[in-house]
Amino acid sequence: MEGYDVIVLGGGVNGTGTARDLAMRGLSVLLLEKSDFACGASGANSGMIHGGIRYMLSDRHVTELACRDSGYIQRIAPHLLFRIPFLMPFTSAKEEATLRERATWYATEVYVGTYDQYQPLKRGKRSTRLTAEELYRLEPALRPGLAGAVTFDEWGIDSHRLCVLNALSARAHGAILRTWTEARELLREGGKVTGVRWRDMITGHVGEARARAVYNATGAWSPGLARRNRLHVPMRPGKGVHLTLDRRFSNYGVACTAVDGRQMFLMPHENDSIIGTTDDDYYGDPDDLEATYDEVEYLIEGVESLIPTVRRARVTRAWWGLRTTLYEYGKGEDALSREHGFLEHGAEGAEGLVSILGGKLASYRVQSEEGADLLVRKLGRTADVCRTHEEPLPGGEAPADVPALAERHGVAAAVVARVVYRHGARAEEVLRLCDEDPRLRLVLCRDEGILGAEIVYCVRNELVRKLQDLRRRCRLAVSACGGLDCARPAAQLAARELGWSADETRAQLAELLELGWRERRAVLDGHQLAQEELLRGAHTGVGRL
Amino acid sequence: MSAGAKRTLSADVLVVGGGMAGAMAALSARAAGASVVLARRAPGATALSSGAIGVAPDVWAAPGEPFSSRLGTLDAARRLAATRSHHPYAVVGAGLERLEEALAFAAEALSEVVAPPGPRPLFLATNYGAVSTCALAQRTMLGAELSRPGLLAVVGFRGHLGFDARLVAGALASAAASGGPRAVPVELDLFMREDASTARPHELARMLDAPGAAEEAGTLLRAALPPGATAALFPPVLGLDPRARAMERLSAAAGVPVGETLSDVPSVPGYRLQVALDERLALAGIELVRGDVEHGGRPGGPVAAGGVVIEAARWVLATGRFVGGGIVRRGRLQEALLGIPVQASESGAAGVHLAVRPTATLTVRERRAPQPLLAAGIRVDAILRPLGEGGLPLHAGLHAAGAVIGGHEVAADGTGLGVAILTGYLAGKAAALR
Repeated sequence: MEGYDVIVLGGGVNGTGTARDLAMRGLSVLLLEKSDFACGASGANSGMIHGGIRYMLSDRHVTELACRDSGYIQRIAPHLLFRIPFLMPFTSAKEEATLRERATWYATEVYVGTYDQYQPLKRGKRSTRLTAEELYRLEPALRPGLAGAVTFDEWGIDSHRLCVLNALSARAHGAILRTWTEARELLREGGKVTGVRWRDMITGHVGEARARAVYNATGAWSPGLARRNRLHVPMRPGKGVHLTLDRRFSNYGVACTAVDGRQMFLMPHENDSIIGTTDDDYYGDPDDLEATYDEVEYLIEGVESLIPTVRRARVTRAWWGLRTTLYEYGKGEDALSREHGFLEHGAEGAEGLVSILGGKLASYRVQSEEGADLLVRKLGRTADVCRTHEEPLPGGEAPADVPALAERHGVAAAVVARVVYRHGARAEEVLRLCDEDPRLRLVLCRDEGILGAEIVYCVRNELVRKLQDLRRRCRLAVSACGGLDCARPAAQLAARELGWSADETRAQLAELLELGWRERRAVLDGHQLAQEELLRGAHTGVGRL
Repeated sequence: MSAGAKRTLSADVLVVGGGMAGAMAALSARAAGASVVLARRAPGATALSSGAIGVAPDVWAAPGEPFSSRLGTLDAARRLAATRSHHPYAVVGAGLERLEEALAFAAEALSEVVAPPGPRPLFLATNYGAVSTCALAQRTMLGAELSRPGLLAVVGFRGHLGFDARLVAGALASAAASGGPRAVPVELDLFMREDASTARPHELARMLDAPGAAEEAGTLLRAALPPGATAALFPPVLGLDPRARAMERLSAAAGVPVGETLSDVPSVPGYRLQVALDERLALAGIELVRGDVEHGGRPGGPVAAGGVVIEAARWVLATGRFVGGGIVRRGRLQEALLGIPVQASESGAAGVHLAVRPTATLTVRERRAPQPLLAAGIRVDAILRPLGEGGLPLHAGLHAAGAVIGGHEVAADGTGLGVAILTGYLAGKAAALR
């Protein structure tokens, strides 16, 4: 039987981040993920490496830590981060602002001004107070009657890629990674965890792996995993829904207030814009989640209060995730801490099992460091010091020169820019495939800049087992077109690489299309509905998929 | 500009929409002696269709049932009408019995690209390797029809990744089980130049149109054919211009019949279909006005469209569904031109109130199931007059044809262009009656 120092359960950002940290410190690691990397909250968050401005009220130390870690993430994956300046407009209920409203504006300004002292840690710009005139020049679509705004600086990220890069780095340091492999049962002897019995969800193979420590980073699936093993993980899972628009709808992130007074936002993100987010308790099956019309309407209405034209925007999809918030009784969803915590299960007869709960994407690295520290201590091991804040993630080693790459490999610069965004310095390896096989210069998606070569590269190098994994490697079939152009040729390329039969390829395609359909059901309107008709003509009509 | 300053076109019939349904309505009204103006914003969904004409697939056939025992087109359409009361085939009542007449009319009108109708449905491969049941097809497709046994060489291009012969051949194993040919993949050294390797389908088709190109492809195919090959199946790029006769030249050089698959989007065969329609409209003396028809008009009164004013006593609304723009949803479902009530259901409580319900309510989770939202459209009576909220015809001079009529899923249920042809043909005839 295989033996490891640590078995990590879960391929989200905590699982992959901790696996990377442990592997870099010289421990032997097995990571099991029941679906693919970033399938849960790690891929369904707002996609921001923020500095935790909201924690300043309760604990400035947390904000400082978050900003510092945000700076580290920029250092190790510079290609994957992009600046998102935010505007916080000053609103008033009537034309003449009340004293109370003016006081709120002033408080906001002071608050954001305080945040400024942490901005250098993450290379953020200082905040600026904008007059109404300046505000409308920057964002003309804002409704009339705003009194100005204050700005603050944050960073965006493709969180799927962040998980994948952590996984690839872990693998490069010797970790064994199994995706689409579920941990069925914890093996225990005499009050101690000794390993895991797993099942490969694709091949049906079952196996056992031994380890003295098991790290449970399964997020919203944690309570279920615990229940199956007669353990207990307390959690307040919160459902968060986001919408994607078909383009960059605004120039800046805009902080809005929802109908119930909650803070929410519209922000440009990669080539799209994102609206987020809802926050509601959810105790249902984490595998059986969908966005409802109600949530879609709530989000649109919230943005509409500041940008009325958003009502006419094309919403391309609604997507969802579960926050794994720490359990507290008697608090509203928004008031729950986003802090993380570790739960040791020794008292329940599972010594060696540690669960991580809560936390946030932006602090994944420090959460992973703490988790790894804890595991190293539990194992009584001497291990190398943590270096995850210094060693670049794959592709983060050096900046890539987009025009030069475009010239050298005969691929349009706009496409190269997207490939470089996702792969950083390794974009060269992707593009080199085009030199060997010019057919791979075929652009499968003009929205996202997906090259035939990128499909092949991801399948060969980035642990792709299913066609749908490419949604999370290179945004296959997630843009406004819903896979009209890219799904069939990408399936063909993946099939060639992975040796899929015709039937298997059709099944993979159908599964990919299923995920897109689920995300569009609640938002089919306007042009997106025409697109759906085309998609069904191609896939259901011509493809019989 | 005021309406009075514009040129006025008078005609018996105004057809709004220039896809298959609109063209059929215009041509059938013209054939019945009416003068016709056709106004359209842009080519409709027909240009984005598979390029073959699905009318009534035998959806009751068991998997593997021989092609030879499948229901014929009219029988399948009758059975469909009997089981789905909101499908246009059911709504037109006795009009369905004129289906074959309508199809013959369409085939004749499209004779530049479409082959004459035969006695049996056609079983055609798609570029996914699926089998599609069609009543009419382009001549470029017939060479690889699947109802005969034999050995079918499925062609891929070594220079281009757009079409995977191995996967298509593999998927066509199901056709062999129904009495079709055995499919084997072959790869040709075609489109090997670097600029061809990333070309779009329309560009590939144009390359095959060039003098000598189809002959070269045929020669390569002849050399690559497996022994005993009876036909060859090409990707849907067998020429952009039917007059260049790429398929015929290729077949002659290869020594076997050659056919192309049906297409997804973008569709070269769909484009050919639309061009053939446009040419026939011009030939028939139908005035084509390009531009949106303005709101507020009614049959019998003047209406502005594309810089002119059109006056016609009778209108045929053939504006399509979501792709065509005849039906739109902006928070609620609407018919775009005249504000006719929209139903969003195939059966049961059809009516205007469904139009305001959330989209998630109008869809079901199972993607492959019929989706009421995608079947949304206006309701019509048996002679294709749109119905108002009270269930009565809105206007004696107003007819509708094609996808703007609800009750069926145009793109996905295999009856889309059949509905366009039948309702277009009938609506044109009805509108031509004085």
